[in-house]
Amino acid sequence: MKIKIILSLLITFSLSVMGQTKKELEVKNFFWGEHDTHKNTVEIPDKWKSESAVILYKNQNYDFHKFGKNVTYKNSTRKRIKLLDNSAVKEFSEFSFLDIFRAPTKVIVFPIPVAFNWQQNTGNFVGIKVVKPNGDEIEIDIKKESVQVDGKTNIAIPNLEVGDIIDYYTYYEDSFKSTFAYGFEPVETTLSEEYPIVNFKLFFETENDFFINFNSYNKAPELKQLPTEKRSIRRYSLEGTNIDKYISNRWFFPLLDLPSYKFQVYFARSGSFEDRALAFLPEKETIIKKNVSEEEVLDLYDKRLRANRDIGDLRDFFKSKTFKNDTEKVKEAYYFMRHAYLTQYIEAMVVKEADILYNPFEFYGSNPPFISSQKEFIKYFTAFLNRNDIDYDVVVSKKRYDGTIDDLLIEKNVDLLLKVNTETPLYVEYFDQYNSINEFNPLIENTEAYLLTSSKNKIDGITREKLPHSVYSQNEEKKEITFTLNDDFSGFSITSISNFKGHQKKEEQNNRLLFTDYIYDDYKKYETKSFIELVKRKKKKIEYQKQLDAAILKIQNHHKEQMKEAAQSEFELNEIDDYAFKINETGRYGFDSYLTFTESFKGKDAFIKKAGPNYIVEIGKLITNQIDLNKKQRERTENIHMSYPRIYNNKITFNIPKGYAVTGIDKLNKSIDNSTGAFISQAEVIGSDLIITTSKQYKNYSEPNSNWSLMVDFLDSANQFVNEKILLKKT
Amino acid sequence: MLKTIHCLFVAAVFLNTVYAQKNVQPTPEEIALSKSLKEKYPDNSVVLLESSDYISFEFNKNEEKIYVNQESNESIINIDSRAQIQKYSFYDEQTTIRKFEVTTKNDKSTKPYITDEALTNDDLFHHDTRVKYTNISFPLMGYKHNTYISKEYRDIKYFSNIYFNDDYPVLKKVIKIEVPNWLDLELKEFNFEQYSIQKDISTNTKNDSKTFTFTINNIPARYNEPDSPGPTYIYPHLLILAKSYTFDGENKNIFHSTQDLYNWYKSLVTALKNDNTVFKKKVLSLTENTTSDEEKIKNIYYWVQDNIRYIAFEDGIAGFKPDEASNVFDKRYGDCKGMANLLKQMLLEAGFDARLTWIGTKRIAYDYSTPNLSVDNHMICTLFKDGDTIFLDATEKFNAYGEYANRIQGKQALIENNDGYILKTVPEITSDFNRESFNYDFILNDDKLEGKASKTFIGESRTSLLYAFNTLKDNNKEEFLEHYLNNGNTNIEVSNIETTDLLDRELNLNMLYDINIKNVVSSFDSDVYIDIDFDKELEGFLLEKRKTNYIFPYKKDLESLTTLKVPSEYTITHLPKDISFSSKNFDMNVMFNQANNIITYKKIFKIKNGQIEKSDFEKWNQFISNLKSVYNEQIVLTKANTKHEN
Repeated sequence: MKIKIILSLLITFSLSVMGQTKKELEVKNFFWGEHDTHKNTVEIPDKWKSESAVILYKNQNYDFHKFGKNVTYKNSTRKRIKLLDNSAVKEFSEFSFLDIFRAPTKVIVFPIPVAFNWQQNTGNFVGIKVVKPNGDEIEIDIKKESVQVDGKTNIAIPNLEVGDIIDYYTYYEDSFKSTFAYGFEPVETTLSEEYPIVNFKLFFETENDFFINFNSYNKAPELKQLPTEKRSIRRYSLEGTNIDKYISNRWFFPLLDLPSYKFQVYFARSGSFEDRALAFLPEKETIIKKNVSEEEVLDLYDKRLRANRDIGDLRDFFKSKTFKNDTEKVKEAYYFMRHAYLTQYIEAMVVKEADILYNPFEFYGSNPPFISSQKEFIKYFTAFLNRNDIDYDVVVSKKRYDGTIDDLLIEKNVDLLLKVNTETPLYVEYFDQYNSINEFNPLIENTEAYLLTSSKNKIDGITREKLPHSVYSQNEEKKEITFTLNDDFSGFSITSISNFKGHQKKEEQNNRLLFTDYIYDDYKKYETKSFIELVKRKKKKIEYQKQLDAAILKIQNHHKEQMKEAAQSEFELNEIDDYAFKINETGRYGFDSYLTFTESFKGKDAFIKKAGPNYIVEIGKLITNQIDLNKKQRERTENIHMSYPRIYNNKITFNIPKGYAVTGIDKLNKSIDNSTGAFISQAEVIGSDLIITTSKQYKNYSEPNSNWSLMVDFLDSANQFVNEKILLKKT
Repeated sequence: MLKTIHCLFVAAVFLNTVYAQKNVQPTPEEIALSKSLKEKYPDNSVVLLESSDYISFEFNKNEEKIYVNQESNESIINIDSRAQIQKYSFYDEQTTIRKFEVTTKNDKSTKPYITDEALTNDDLFHHDTRVKYTNISFPLMGYKHNTYISKEYRDIKYFSNIYFNDDYPVLKKVIKIEVPNWLDLELKEFNFEQYSIQKDISTNTKNDSKTFTFTINNIPARYNEPDSPGPTYIYPHLLILAKSYTFDGENKNIFHSTQDLYNWYKSLVTALKNDNTVFKKKVLSLTENTTSDEEKIKNIYYWVQDNIRYIAFEDGIAGFKPDEASNVFDKRYGDCKGMANLLKQMLLEAGFDARLTWIGTKRIAYDYSTPNLSVDNHMICTLFKDGDTIFLDATEKFNAYGEYANRIQGKQALIENNDGYILKTVPEITSDFNRESFNYDFILNDDKLEGKASKTFIGESRTSLLYAFNTLKDNNKEEFLEHYLNNGNTNIEVSNIETTDLLDRELNLNMLYDINIKNVVSSFDSDVYIDIDFDKELEGFLLEKRKTNYIFPYKKDLESLTTLKVPSEYTITHLPKDISFSSKNFDMNVMFNQANNIITYKKIFKIKNGQIEKSDFEKWNQFISNLKSVYNEQIVLTKANTKHEN
């Protein structure tokens, strides 16, 4: 009897999960049913016959519906791809999906444990079929062919060969309750992808309360509205044909140059929620919003950026201080806030990460203030400015890699900062631990931006202005390298002093600085206490100090090893000895102040070659690796987009060994200087030293493709310098 | 932002771990011990003060299987300023981790968070190995933790060996194995000779068993070196040979002999249906219109190589039992067993005598004299034809008929033979079978070397190149070829490339092309300095700190000949000196010659065994140092009638 019960349970359960659900069949029918206009598409244009694979049809669908507070979001993609070589077959021979099936369910039927290992659908579906060259279609039985491990479904595609078409879809559905306005994740993409596309269709279905911002760029097709059976339902599509594959390249902003589209969908159930939505919503759901006006920008931010944060710490710090002028006051306030709202907690963050304490932040008071976003920063800093009657504008800008401020469509793309209207305006941006005053993201430099103006402590006006730009000389990497050969020519030693300022500095600060390089100075400067000083109980203080010291030592050792590896990699050396690294200046107070560090090490098996009784020194290699263009890169067709103009200066001092003279320095003198950039080098012997100076300059943020040959000129010159050698001739 | 800062400083160094416990601060003695251990083991962060494994056996009457219980205890001390480690243990369908404990030195549980996840392996599409692990934090030098893991094997077959080394150095390692007298078990010792391992055997009359205790002191951590021999070659360990057991007076074999191992394998193979209907037509199309048996065999063998993708499933019994040939044919993919089975069945279908064959690749030190599931890890197909034995590995790509991949050469193969079996060894080839021959003919034209080049690849040098080439997208192949021939160096321009058919696995692979090189000739005053070698093979092969043999993917044999025609207005004033090194394992020669204003530069590098053994390291390193000097030295030409004033 027991066995019968178990069997009947098993059969019932099996039936419910073995067959395809109605929903699954609906999805399948949507893609592969009788209305599939691409079911017989097999041909590819001749121009793509030598490609690895060609996408015959790509279809992306977004569906947004609601019932009361319940929101249902469906996202599905179909691709029908012709596989033209083994590489493509390998690429599409295995698929991996998350959340297709629920974990196996185990049921215990007393007294016999029974494990039902059937896979239950999650509401997400995948369909895959292989179309053979003779037209035979083989649908893959996903349940049968797949294996599930830790929520991941892996499928090996059977019987897949060159010449086949793989036709697959993925369908994800998500339902949730939302009382308030809810913004779906924005999509910003090019039409093109790894393989060329013959036909592309993007499809939207929405209803009332869903607001769509959508626009096409760079000659991408426009979104078109389709007729529907109900007024509350709306459908749109975008169709494209003959889309070449995407090829990634150095200095390339694809969204700026290739056909692309952006969109975001927002759910807002009523007018009040629409008002609260942090988005540039269209006036009505029936309108697809394509761009954002000045008024809309002002309207969105005027109430959201109120200067209403408590800056008590700042007031206390400023009590006993006097300043020459507002400029000094603003600078001091910025650096103080960087410490008070960020760097003073760094030790505690380390304590937390090193698992010394679960909540080290309790030592900073019951609710220690952090600034965690650009908007929060604006609220804090403008509170200070208002209190001190210092005029300012809020800058609403957009990074240039996907268009100008006129292409603004999605609120998440906005960068907010402040222009403080001191005698010479100061620009202040939400800080990290290194940011300086007047330092802001280079990708918004030199772009048109909106300025939200304020009067009576309220944002009530808007104008446009071009943000300042930096010039190449401001963004400098400067190296002073002293190169000395061992007496017996068996090796060499290098001392390198590296200096970085402007935008060249940030990445190096991230890589080179440890918090221990600046945090103690900050405590002193701003009269704050270290984490250990905040701990009151003596026994605990000793315990935490020991553990923090051990953690710091570990971090420092790890960091030194990383610095050594970076030096090895930079000079392309297999191994170096006696490596030393020292930070001289952190460069944390001023955009034009240098981060400076000194490295020294010994090496061998590089730079020197024996040439009979003489030696050849590969002196050019000391400026380290330069861009070495291959044939394909020389034939570049895209425009050139870089983050910022910049300069790399080197001064190399080579101690000429006694008993030898240097020959061949004429080849070290180079000069290519044009509107896009320059490489200039000079060499001369002064006393017993060969002194070489080099300067490589990228003069602009971007160049049209027509200027590429000019760039190639100076890039090649720099690369040729790396290949130049001198002869040490026995005298 | 806060998260970003966390990453900047800490994430790379710290793992999420359990919090430090009270009253477990290290004593001055422990700190002193740590300091001394750090001097001894500078590359390690923790040391196992003591590690013990206790292994016992019990008979499960219901399943008629012998269960194995393994209890592992470790006492770990931190020898760095602080340390985090991951303590882990693997398990699969046949094993269960019963307990996983981490305690402080005063034996209080740290209540570790144990993560349980599938082990990922890029080489295997699916397998059943999982791992349980926890992160353990040692906040101070001298800090200690203890770990305890209890693991159960539900069949003694799968408990095949036990190692002495760990991820960290061990001061004292004890392996205690209590063998009941109803179980006939041999503990075969491997790689004991380099270590002082104490072995004690005691008899326990109470429970009618013997206890084998192995103790070793100061054993280093496992080596983390690429291209090293498999662990069975380099670490001391015990191979567990479970031969038979007696229960209720009845004696039953487990793997008493190779025949028992074969019987088990054979039982899995016999269960196959082998319905070949689905590929009858394919076999016919591959064998009709052929002129010889060899052509038929090749057609089938190459078809399987080219059309069946290797996708490995190692899940429970699927790790040992081949998939049906018809399934593999239908799916066009399979693992080594499935592919071997399909190849066998297709050859049988064509009328040939083909057999499944179990084999351990070169990573495994064992042969079938020690019957155990660790002996082999691969399956191929053996063909008996006209008195010859031919091994066919269907997982190889671009492998020519009659050629054997290095990984199976010299290895014993267990070939099915009805109820019996045949043991044969896969023949080894000599290094010249894999020869790569390079020829460069240059003239000096201003500051450039210009000329023609040819390269020929045979054996495994050909196979590996064809395979790499054919994994590329078709429209990237030309670019790859150029990149391969100019070593990715833009100073080397190659053009007019002609090759033999890059899909033909039998032909010698030839490449002919024009070559121009800049920036290797430097002119100073009346002298010209030439850096003639731009391949510089083996330049970075100094093995100074290495602890294990270096294993090449196959036996290496390179002959490179460069000629340079010197313009008549120059004389050759300096050539680097010849160097050579010969031994039973190597023939390495670099020679320079000049005649009629032609410089000849020849390199012969033969690595006859495909490996550099530790015992050869000193001489090898000396040769590589000399080779680097040669590579670093310039050929010097001087314009005729120029007097040197030094």
